[in-house]
Amino acid sequence: MTKLERFAQWSVFVLVAALVTMAPLTASAAKKIRIGIIYDLTGPLAAAGAVPASIGTQIAIDMVNEKGGVMGKYMVESVKGDAQSKPDIAINEAERLINSEKVDILAGIYSSAQAVPLSGKLDALKQFFWINVAISSAVFKDKNLKYVFRPQVHSDQFGQTSTDFLAEYSQKKMGIKPSQLKVAIIHEDGPYGVGVASANKTGAEKHGMKIVHEEGYSLTAPDLSAMVIKLKRARPDVILHTGYNPDITLFLRQARELGLRFKVLIGHGAGYGQIDKLVATFGKDVDYIYNVDPVAAQLLDPKTLKPGVGALTKEMVRRYKKITGAQEVPPHTSMGFNHTWILLNNVVPTAIKKYGGWDSESLRKAALDLDIPVGGTIQGYGIKFAPPGHRMAGQNLRASPVAMQYVGGKTYIAYPTAIQTIDPVLPLPSTSPYAAR
Amino acid sequence: MGIFDFYLLETIINGVLFGGVLALLALGLNLVFGVIDVIWIAYAEIVMVGMYIIYYLNVVLGWPLVFAALASILGVGVVGLLVHALIISPLLDTPPINQLLATGGLLFFLQSFATLIFGAEFRNLGLSMPILQFFELYISFSRLLAFGTALVGMIALYLFLTRTYIGTAIRAVAQDREIMSLMGVNTRKVYLITSAVGGGMAGLAAILLVLQQDVHPFIGYTFGPITFMICVMGGLGNLLGGFLAAFIMSQIISIGSFYVSTELAYVIAFILFIAVMFIRPEGLFQRRA
Repeated sequence: MTKLERFAQWSVFVLVAALVTMAPLTASAAKKIRIGIIYDLTGPLAAAGAVPASIGTQIAIDMVNEKGGVMGKYMVESVKGDAQSKPDIAINEAERLINSEKVDILAGIYSSAQAVPLSGKLDALKQFFWINVAISSAVFKDKNLKYVFRPQVHSDQFGQTSTDFLAEYSQKKMGIKPSQLKVAIIHEDGPYGVGVASANKTGAEKHGMKIVHEEGYSLTAPDLSAMVIKLKRARPDVILHTGYNPDITLFLRQARELGLRFKVLIGHGAGYGQIDKLVATFGKDVDYIYNVDPVAAQLLDPKTLKPGVGALTKEMVRRYKKITGAQEVPPHTSMGFNHTWILLNNVVPTAIKKYGGWDSESLRKAALDLDIPVGGTIQGYGIKFAPPGHRMAGQNLRASPVAMQYVGGKTYIAYPTAIQTIDPVLPLPSTSPYAAR
Repeated sequence: MGIFDFYLLETIINGVLFGGVLALLALGLNLVFGVIDVIWIAYAEIVMVGMYIIYYLNVVLGWPLVFAALASILGVGVVGLLVHALIISPLLDTPPINQLLATGGLLFFLQSFATLIFGAEFRNLGLSMPILQFFELYISFSRLLAFGTALVGMIALYLFLTRTYIGTAIRAVAQDREIMSLMGVNTRKVYLITSAVGGGMAGLAAILLVLQQDVHPFIGYTFGPITFMICVMGGLGNLLGGFLAAFIMSQIISIGSFYVSTELAYVIAFILFIAVMFIRPEGLFQRRA
């Protein structure tokens, strides 16, 4: 055997050995689905629900991976991004995850102020984008987005739920006709607050309610006392408030100190969804306050849901409490978990089986095929996305929020009446420092 | 609205009390700039450190609030001293932009450090302050306390600077640091004492802020810019100027909020600030030594 032949033999041997060794690596690399998850892990929004949502999201990913991944064979690898409560950072993080980390899917997003610019940008890039928490209707309204999907409720529904609830119970519980009800609308001035407030206004006008005051303010305003004094002057029966966290606690504190009285206070998610924090700060003062939000899954009766969904909720609650040590599980955890679970168990498998992979185009088609009836998810609502050409293309048309009431540190469903777990208490009882006298 | 608007009166009174909070915040920052000619961009974050000290000692370790508050003044005083010794002192003879960037770095360091230790969550003392009611007029007790403390703090600082030996030395260095150095004064010692007193003032502000606001790693975003604006508007380094500018700013915000809206009131305040910078770049009240 010549030297050349021996060299050729060794070369073939090395090549074959290399291929044999690398084959499993290549296959396993191909099986991984990389998801970029962006939430506000730091900054003022972190404690207003973004962190519980990110924990819920990770629980869903962990549970899928524990079963061997999507369809039992494609492991999910999450790459985290911290938006730091700033829209510009959220955009930078999205670019990093797409360009450097080469993620297949972008998901998460707590803040509407981030969701609005990101959705337009990512849609133009034809990047599949799955919004778990942010609610602003402006994300989709008249934009005809093709690659952005949101299983979550949108802000128009938040605003209308509170006024529909008031219309049903105002006369019955307070003896005030809806047309005589005096309503004040206050909100933080980002897309989230403005979106909900605008729907509050539409809803109040629909029911003929009197809007006696309407005002926006910056999330980081150091003082809200002038707004509180104006509310005192306007003497509303009901205050509809949309805010995050530092502003909500500042408002409630200053309202108490300055003697603001009202009959009903309805918050709309974010800071109002964090009952543990509210109770730790204000104790019994937050009793009988309402919060409109997608329901925290553990509050629903599992018998009203598809078989097996209740067990899923139980597992999510168990893991969340174990991770955080919290007593109450906020609605944001359900949002993060539920929507990620649907993405990994319904959308991605369809994309692979029917459309051949998890590229943005296949995922988009699979999302449009999705058809989950009411009762099919842990938060009760079903999922059917508005198709291209629809005014809200990409928005889940079957999502709906509920009105919850806090009593004794516990959360109860007050509205819709069909699923309520408490007979709503209104007006505020005289034990409340905010009760009208 | 009648001839006498009761709610406007309530707004003005609350505006004055809010001014007390801002004035207290401006005092320490102005003192440091007036003497050392250095701007602590991270001043609001140093106040945050004081708020966390009170929270930790009072809520976690169960110390009485008074002792936790005193520890905040001392603790933040030490922080002020360290800021000067470790960050400012090595950069004193370099261009001012270096000092600005260094304290800017400190700002991000303190935010991240607080996030690491306490998490991003909002913390508070869980205190329910008494409500002061005179007929239909409500006054925030915590703000009244802040207002009184700001007045006492201002007077105490004035007496310290005018009636004590070290205070006189601080004023002398503020007037001309080079000459004083040539005359044998240990300017390094004067700077350290000034930084400690500036830090102590931040600790004092922290006590009153923690009674009204939740503490979180990013509270500096709420109070940092407005404190800086007040100091510039009053004339950087002018203690009395900063004190008065705090009340001017708080009244613009309060009355603007009352007549127009909370959002626009801040816009009006910022426009006024820009106008002042154009007309009197040295501030409304010229800097005095």
